[in-house]
Formats: sequence, structure tokens, C-alpha cells
Amino acid sequence: MSIKSICSLLAVLALSSLPTLAADPEKAVVQIFTFAQEADWDEPWKFGQLRRSSGTGFIIKGRRIMTNAHVVSWARQLMVKRYQDPRPYLARVVFVAHDCDLALLEVEDSLFYDGCEPLEFGPLPKVRSTVVTYGYPAGGEQISYTRGVVSRIELQTYAHIGNRSLLGVQTDAAINPGNSGGPVIQDDKVIGVAFQGMPGLENAGFFIPAPVINHFLDDIKDGKYDGFPSAGVRTAPLQNTAYRRKLKLPDNDKGVRVDSTIPGTPAEKVLRPDDVVLQVGNYPVGSDGSIVYEGNRMALAMAVQEAQHGQSMALKIWRDGKEQSIALPVEVSGTDKVLGNQYDTPPRYFVYAGLVFTPISLDYLKTFGRGWSDTAGAELTYELFYRRQESPKTVRIEPIVLSTVLADGVNANFRTRGRALVDKINGIRIERLEDVIRAFESPSNGQHVVEFLPKNTFECLERESADKANAQILKTYGIPKDRRL
Amino acid sequence: MRDRYPISSRRPSRPALLHPASCILHPLALALALLLLCQRAPAAPAPDWESALVYLEVTRRAYEVFQPWTPKSRTVQKNGLVIGAREILTTAEELSDRTLVRVQRGGRGKWWDAEVVWLDYHANLAVLTAKEDAFWPGLKPAPFITGKLPKEGLQIVRWRSGNLEARKAEFNQFLVEDARLSFFQHLQLEASTEMQAVGWAEPLVANGKVAGLATGQGGNNARFLPASFIEPILAARKAGKYPGLGFFPFTWTPVENPSTFKFLKLPGDPRGALVIDVPATPKVEPNLKPRDLILQVDGFDVDNQGYYKDPDYGQLIVENLGSRRKFAGEVVKMKIWRDGAQMNLDYRLPKLDYSVKLLAEQTFDQAPEFLIAGGLVLQPLNIPLLRGFGEDWKRRAPFRLAHYAGGPPSAERSGLVVLTSVLPDPYVVGYQDARFLVVDTVNGQKISRLADVQAALQQPQEGFHTIEFHRGDNLRRIVLDAGLMDAATKRILERYRIPMASHIEAKP
Repeated sequence: MSIKSICSLLAVLALSSLPTLAADPEKAVVQIFTFAQEADWDEPWKFGQLRRSSGTGFIIKGRRIMTNAHVVSWARQLMVKRYQDPRPYLARVVFVAHDCDLALLEVEDSLFYDGCEPLEFGPLPKVRSTVVTYGYPAGGEQISYTRGVVSRIELQTYAHIGNRSLLGVQTDAAINPGNSGGPVIQDDKVIGVAFQGMPGLENAGFFIPAPVINHFLDDIKDGKYDGFPSAGVRTAPLQNTAYRRKLKLPDNDKGVRVDSTIPGTPAEKVLRPDDVVLQVGNYPVGSDGSIVYEGNRMALAMAVQEAQHGQSMALKIWRDGKEQSIALPVEVSGTDKVLGNQYDTPPRYFVYAGLVFTPISLDYLKTFGRGWSDTAGAELTYELFYRRQESPKTVRIEPIVLSTVLADGVNANFRTRGRALVDKINGIRIERLEDVIRAFESPSNGQHVVEFLPKNTFECLERESADKANAQILKTYGIPKDRRL
Repeated sequence: MRDRYPISSRRPSRPALLHPASCILHPLALALALLLLCQRAPAAPAPDWESALVYLEVTRRAYEVFQPWTPKSRTVQKNGLVIGAREILTTAEELSDRTLVRVQRGGRGKWWDAEVVWLDYHANLAVLTAKEDAFWPGLKPAPFITGKLPKEGLQIVRWRSGNLEARKAEFNQFLVEDARLSFFQHLQLEASTEMQAVGWAEPLVANGKVAGLATGQGGNNARFLPASFIEPILAARKAGKYPGLGFFPFTWTPVENPSTFKFLKLPGDPRGALVIDVPATPKVEPNLKPRDLILQVDGFDVDNQGYYKDPDYGQLIVENLGSRRKFAGEVVKMKIWRDGAQMNLDYRLPKLDYSVKLLAEQTFDQAPEFLIAGGLVLQPLNIPLLRGFGEDWKRRAPFRLAHYAGGPPSAERSGLVVLTSVLPDPYVVGYQDARFLVVDTVNGQKISRLADVQAALQQPQEGFHTIEFHRGDNLRRIVLDAGLMDAATKRILERYRIPMASHIEAKP
């Protein structure tokens, strides 16, 4: 896993604003104040402390405010202030897209929109062209403007989700914490949304460009957000003359090889290893797996990301020594979700007799601390990230972990105290959280037997005592409900 | 082996960093230092040790892990004990890949050539001799304590700048932990001492006899192979009946949960070590099964924490009964609880062998294997290779490689070969960034070791070599022109100044 370390730009800022100037398009730029409470992934019935932060947004047509998803994640309350307006307005999230770090808000009070012209979107800017950012960066109460040029355009890791790379634009215009969600303007049009910086890179900020924004806006037209689809294949450059000769391909710079398909994706049925992708949609594919998009050479994933979930892409491939045309359905991967950072939906869990069961996810593993993939979390890391690649037939839909044991007389002698992958309960293989509940409810000869992986350890529990102790344990530990499903 | 807890730190290879507070020269510290000086052994150490203790110098080959064709030289000095006619005992550590061993008597003066006549890395013991008769006059064998080891009157002795240094050692505990050079667990003695850099086979002595040999130090706590571990091995070797050490390859866990005993239908008080994993290799017949409870071993009752009461050393984990005066091939008599009934099991101890693991723990006395095939650098995946990522290799090595370390070998794959790097050349254009990929097949043949690769490369398919890597989120396949490989290898060896294309020990 080589995920770029990128910092998001949301910062905790002072809650006051006294704008004094008025000029277009500033009128449409708003400051957003977020009061958020994140989930606790280790003790999943809990939430963390209330956190105050602020970011930027801008009004678009349809009486909506666009901002970054990371500005509004886990929000308990959102307030927005317009330019030069001392009054805070309550806002709510209408759509949030964590994979592309965008969100749309709505303010119920119609006064909020009075006298404000929504901003319009422009095209993908040219490299070396000038852009201006608008926002409320760290420490500032006045709107701030920074000017810069577009440095480069390519796929970037989106830090908010952590495991997706989408089109991003790098600029030398200062983008600082608090700028998040603010518009990047060129020729009076929004050509991007400021969203992240990168430690170690000076004079470099990143914004989400129009193609990604437009994809998001198209996606939600049906009233729900699906996300950016993936091709479901891993490709490898096809630059070795021997490999090209083996595949009977001319020795040129065209075509990228399908190295493997990802289990469970539509691509598994349509493509096969050693197919050579020559063209995706209208984009010819280079031997390094790149396409030319709006004059910028970048990974062919960009072409796939133009499609919406469930659509098919026209591919030209080279198979068995000749060119063929196929349609590749592309889908949003459900697996991607647990492998990236998750927001807004608190973790599923089930508590029985002090045993806390929850699905493994990246967020859960991160509760182990910085070295989460080392010894303590190695088995769980393997289960989450590698098993589905290496042994797809043995993969569980939702691997479950005994995250902790809430001490009580009924479980006090357990040697396994948590962080253990659950294999079976009362002989039932645990594929998902619902299986845990079903297994504890199944007849069990007076005892429950919980088996763990990988070393076959197991623990036993007296059913009658466990049933009796359950309610008291929930009360003792202040757990309002024994489950969240 | 016990379902493991973290093992305490081993001897540091270099001096440990001082805690900042200890850098301050406090009057109390000075007083303490003076006191410690006064605590030194008598000014004139027992003459027995001067005539039994010798100094060793070992020069050996070491290798760059990821450029294994580049040998280096390393020299260490350590201690040895005369144990019989023309025989010197020391620890086996640093004796692998030796090119020159010399001994010195009296802690100074002439060095004499020596050679290793017997060595067991698992036991961490070696016996040396010096051929020249002139070395031996005046040297006398050191006697070993043969019964229960004392806890009082312990000293560590060694040669230092030509003088015999003896320091008091305070007994801490007997414990059963991982061997210094092996994965099995055996009895060790821990004592605290002010003597620094201990761990080079310094003898621990009491009442004029040897109580142990030092193997490591962490802080002020030094670890020793106790005489009761060493002496039976030496006696068996002398009698020509030493088959090597045996061990318990299964994994057990303590049980405190009364419900678990109820589930296992064990009547009476909680007792016994619960077996949870029995590897397919080494083969043991009859063998334990998961969910067996080990109730008794060689007449010693095993409690529910997996401990037995040793008549000499108190509470020790059951692991020790695999090496307590027993060797490989011998039977350990067990009483076990299986499927609701007690039964006897004659457990024949398998021999310790580094190859019982998927990734060999050590590769002593062989130059690291490698194969350069048209710029692809292929090496066996083993623990020494992973140590190339540093002491904290479990954190620093690529996750997938490190994760293989816990796995057992399978019937279809006894080991792993990894593509560690690609030496750039026109022949391998397009693959130059591939690295740390575990090889699955070459030309359709399953790969367990480098010799398999070498053999598979003799059978190209339609003029191509196809190398497939294990499934994962990585590159799966590369193809090379078989007809051009030899010429490319030759060119690459010249360009990168590599003396040979391969070093392969094992046959396929």
C-alpha cells in the first residue's frame, strides 16, 4: 500500500466573521462552521468529543452550497455565514460524496439566498493558466484570495477517502487549512474546489476540477449518490518487446496489458489476463497504460471515471492475435468502502455477554495506532487487504472481529481479550455480523463456543449465565443498545 | 511452543543508548560506582579459571543481503572454556561461515589456529581444538556443575586486556524462552551484573565450577545457557550418541476459563495445557491433536497455565520438557485428555531443523543463494533476507513478505523464491520497477526454491520464459525472450560487475 500522505485542509478556526467588502463572486462564497462528532471504532457504541472546525463553500444553482465532504463529515450541526452577513444560518447535508470529497448543503431559510447569484462551473483549466482561490483560510475572518497558475493535471490520491485516485489539479496558489471547499475561479467561472495540500511540497495546493464535480452532479440526479466506478482490472505496462511479440502485437507504444482481474467485479467475466486494452471509449491507450485527456497524459483510470456506476464502456482490446470490441460494465466497488476511510455511518456492532463484535475495516485497524499492520494487527490486515486477492474462495463477506471484552464475571476468565478474528460461533461460520447474532441464538447445548483465527483458539461461555448477565453488562458500560446493524 | 507473548529483548548488538538521566554524573552515581568496584571478585581470581579460560578470535564471511554476491569480512572475539583433552567449548554464535578461528591463552600473546570439531546452532554450542601441541600445556578442563544450579555466589569471568576479570552476578530467575539462534524454547538462567557487553560465551561460575555460558545481555540482565542444559549435550556427544535436540512443534495455550474445561469434559480441578495448533511438519506419530489437553509430561503434572514444577528450577513452562535431558528421537511420555477421556501418548521428539518453517529461520554456513536471470535478481525468501530490512523488519519489510514468516510449508510448496530487484537492461525494459514479488511459477512449473527456477528456465515455452508471481495486488506476470536470456545475463554481469550469475546450494 503506497498511499500518499496528504493532509486535508480542514482546520479549527475562530467562530466569528466580519466581512466588509462586497464584490462578485465573493457574494456566493460562504464560511461553514461544523460541529462534528466522530464514531469510536474500537468501542462502536461510543462517539468522540465534539469537534469544531470551519471551511469554505459556495452557492451554486438550485439553492445549494457546494463544499468538501471532509468539511461536513460526522457533522452534528452545520452553520453557514454569507459574505458580509453577521447572521449564521443552519444548514444540512443534502448529498455527500466521500470518494471525491464533495458535498452539497442546503439552507432552509430562504432569506439566505436573497441577492445572491449562484456561481457557474467552467471547464478543466489549461496547464500554466491563472486561477484565483476564494476562501477563509486558517486564522482569518475575512475572505482571502490567492492567485496562482495551474502546475499540473493528473490523477491524485484523494486523502479524505484515502484509497481512491481521481483527477486533481495542482496549483501554486496558496491553499491553506480553512480554504477547503472554496471555489477556484477562472474567467468568473468555478473551475475547481480547493481540497488538499501535500506535506513536503511547497507552493502546491490541489483542487477538485470540473470533470469530477460534474460527475458528482450527474450522479445525484437520480436522488442518490453512487460514486466513481472502477474497471475491475489491474493493468501492467506492455513495453517489453518479448511480451509484445508473444502476444503478436506490433512493437509500438500502443496498448496496456491486463495483468489480472479483480475477483467479484464484472471485469472478471469480460476480460482475461493478457488481453491488451487498446482503446477505452474514445481514448487510445498507450503502452504505459496512459491516455491523453484534455491534452494531459494520465492513467487510463480517468477514462473509466467518466462513466457512471452501472454503465458500460466500449473497449477495443487485442486478444488471441486480433483486435476485438467489447463492452465492459463498470461498477462502484463495495469493498473499496471498508478499505478506505469511512464517514457519517457509525460502525455496525453487536454486544453479547460483554463480547463486542464489529466488522474489520481500515478505521477499526487504525485504532491500534501507527503500527497497525505490524504484529498486533497483521492477521486482521491480511484478512482485510490480502485474502480477497489471494484466496477469493475463502473470503468472508464481512470479516468480524471480537474487538474487546467488557470485563464481567461471566467472561472474566477469557484469555482472548479482543482484536481477534472470529471464525465460528457454535459451529456456524461467521460471514457477517448478522451471523454472530444468529449463532448466539441457535441451540448450543448449554454453552456457547467462540472460535478464532488463525491459531484455532476458542473460548466457551455458559449460555444461561451469559443471557442473565447481558442486560447488566450493557447497563454497567453505558451501552444504549446491544446492536447497531 | 506456547501461544506467544512478546519475548524480552535480546542482547543489543551495540551499546544501548543511555537514558538521559543517566548521563548526569551525580555524586550518588560516583559513590555507587566505587561501591561496585569494591564488589568485584577477589583481586586475585581463582587460578583455575586462568588455566581453563581462553580467548577466541573468529573471522567470518558476511553478506550484503540484497547484493549477496558481495561478501564482507567480520571479526569478533569471544571466550572459550577448556573442557577436556584438546577441546574448547564456546557458543556457536558467530561461528557460521568462518574463515579463520584463532585461540589465545592467558588473555594475551600469541594466537594459535583453531578449528571447529563439533557444532550445534540450535543448542548454540561448539567445540574447538587447536592442532599445535604447544598450545595445550598448562591448560586444564573446567568442571561443570552437574546437579542443581546454585543461586548464590555466582560470578562471570572473562579475559579483558590480558587480565582475568571477574564480577559478581545476582541470580534473577530460571526461564524457558527462545534459543539464541533457533526458534525452540529451552531453559535459560538470567542474572544481573554490572559487567557490560556480556554475551560472548563468558562462563558463569560458582564454587569453582561452571554454571553456564553467557549468550546475551539486555541492560544489566545477562542470559546464560545453564550447565544443566549444556552438560547432557556434551556427555551425549562424547559418547557419540548425540542425535541433536528435539522440540515441541505444536502450539498450546493456557486456559483459565472453567467453561472451556467443562466443554472439554475434564472433571476435577482445572489443569493441563490446551493444544491449539499441530503443524503438518515435522511429522510425528503418534501426534497430538488440536483441543488435546496435556495433563502430564514425563511424570510432571502440567497446570492450566502450562507450567510444571521442576524439581531443580521451580515452575517452568512445559516446553522445557522437550529438551530436559531429552534429545531428538527420544520419547516423551504424555498423559493427555482427548475427546472426554484420558489417554497416554508416547510423543517422539522431532529433530530441530530450520527447514520445518516455510521461511528458514537461519541459513548458516552457506553463502546466500541467488540467481540472476536476464537482470531478474531472484533469492530464497527466508528470515535472514527479511532481516535485511533492519532489526525491526516486521515493520519495515513489505507486509506481504513479512506475513509469510508465520506460515508453515505446504505439500506443494516447501519454500518461497522472491524477485528482489531487477537490474536495468534493455532486455528487461518494462519490468525495471518490479521487486519483492514472490514467484509462483516459471514456465508453468511451481517454484519452491531457486533450483526449481534454474530447472524451469531450461524449459522455455515457444521461445519465451513466463514468470508468474503469487496472487495479490501486485504484478502477476512477466515474459522474457528465452533465446536472449543468456547473452543478457552475461552483459548484465559485466555491466554491474557481478562475479557470477548464481549461487545455488540445493537441488530441485
